[in-house]
Amino acid sequence: MIKKIVLNLIFLSPLVYMLYGLQSAVDPIKYIYIHTGSTAIVMLILTLCITPLRKVKNLVKYRRFVGLYTFFYAFLHFINFFVLDAELSVAFVIKQTLDKPFVYLGMISFVVLLFMSITSTRKLFKKYRTWHNGVYLVLGIITIHASMAQKVLSAVEYFYIFMAVILIGHRAFKSKWISRFFANFLQKRVKTA
Amino acid sequence: MDIIKKPSWHISENEVTDEALFNKRRDFLKLGAASIVLTTTVMEQLSAVETTKRDPLKFKKTSFGKDLNINDFNQASTYNNFYEFSLKKSEPAKLAHTLNPSPWDIEIGGEVEKPFTLSMEEIIKSYPLQERIYRFRCVEGWAMVVPWIGFSLSHIIKLAKPNSKAKFVKFTTLFDPKQFPDQAKGMFGNIPYPYVEGLRMDEAMNDLTILSVGMYGKTLPKQNGAPLRLIVPWKYGFKSIKSIVKIEFVQEQPINTWNAISSKEYGFYANVNPQVDHPRWSQARERKLGSFFKQKTLMFNGYEKEVANMYKDMDLRKFI
Ligand code: HEM
Repeated sequence: MIKKIVLNLIFLSPLVYMLYGLQSAVDPIKYIYIHTGSTAIVMLILTLCITPLRKVKNLVKYRRFVGLYTFFYAFLHFINFFVLDAELSVAFVIKQTLDKPFVYLGMISFVVLLFMSITSTRKLFKKYRTWHNGVYLVLGIITIHASMAQKVLSAVEYFYIFMAVILIGHRAFKSKWISRFFANFLQKRVKTA
Repeated sequence: MDIIKKPSWHISENEVTDEALFNKRRDFLKLGAASIVLTTTVMEQLSAVETTKRDPLKFKKTSFGKDLNINDFNQASTYNNFYEFSLKKSEPAKLAHTLNPSPWDIEIGGEVEKPFTLSMEEIIKSYPLQERIYRFRCVEGWAMVVPWIGFSLSHIIKLAKPNSKAKFVKFTTLFDPKQFPDQAKGMFGNIPYPYVEGLRMDEAMNDLTILSVGMYGKTLPKQNGAPLRLIVPWKYGFKSIKSIVKIEFVQEQPINTWNAISSKEYGFYANVNPQVDHPRWSQARERKLGSFFKQKTLMFNGYEKEVANMYKDMDLRKFI
């Protein structure tokens, strides 16, 4: 119980930190974008590190918890877009989503994360288990999204890209579908040779 | 002077003998940690102010922008795009102490009668300084209103006597890796250096175009482009090049730095235009610094009357 409270406090601390700095933020809307966006992508990376590292330390039982916090910060990010940036204009949201690759990449990720959060209960997860692989799609496109938000890339974006390549690469390597593909491919080569 | 202000709840040592508090020493430790955090923010604020030690200037007030709502000095001097120092807008205020704006010379050359050099002292002595309150709109979507102090660029142009081949004016920022840390990183720098900007001759001669030496009554803070920068209020902020060392008159349109980095996103003209979006975001509205609410972006940043005729035959979707 105490552990749970402490964990929640840890995962809420980026929000507290953000609210504390918000009073003196010069460009508040941008400030909220940066803080919620960066927190969400870092938590997404953390979530996806749990599986490959489970042999080192098994934290799989926390995966859903970290994943839900990823969604929580992505949700705050979206609310910033809808309430402060779009000023509640649905027309603006739709137009930007259709017009700007930068925005639709964010929107697709947000919708996938929303779907995963809803289907993360034990019962629904059983049914939609394979759909949850979509999280790797989210990682890939949100890395592009975060990079597109910059005028020029800096070390932070290179770190996101590096982590995305490692995590997606690792998952692809483990995937049955891909290994079967390679096996078939090799077999054919052997036969034709 | 008591530099580090104690927060109102600060507990001085001799009060801590209270037994109840003694038992709550854990809470006290936390308070201690909090006060460290607070003092570091106070110190940060102080250091930001210190890098902006500025001399007062003599200038005339003008009617430019007298109805506009001016931003705080703090906002204009702690939110800077100055990639020679850092990509982060809060950093130039802390790092700019390495820039040394005096002595400072400006080379004037290219298609002119005779190239020459001007020192900052000469400039400040020779031209009557004016205060001009202008809107400033960044291509990233934020905006502010700043009381600049400067003089019309046309003074320098008249002094230089460009010949008939001169069609554009090219400006160059100082290149000195000792003063601009990011320039020391070579090909790993944030952007290619030195930073270059340009104006068409008629734009350069426009009455709104000024060379600024100060803001908010005093000389420019280093992070705002001391000692001399361009201000072209109807264009996106990146046109308003900082810390200028060279002004050249040229025949061909100069390739300005952001245009060289990404020509699809940043053009030569960079006129503020709410109808033409940046490929990645809308330019229709803007975030005025310090506000949670956006406001409409105005055509030519509100200077349509003064500048629109210069572009009347141009397709503004093409010439971004
Ligand atoms: C709902 C759809 C989304 C929209 C409309 C959206 C919009 C934006 C905007 C406008 C910015 C840049 C603001 C600026 O720099 O001017 C941004 C930056 C960013 N977003 Fe999103 N976003 C969305 C979803 C997401 C999601 C789901 C994530 C992460 C899981 C995310 C992560 C980021 C990151 C890391 C940045 C970069 C922040 C920085 O500048 O350091 N976004 N987003």
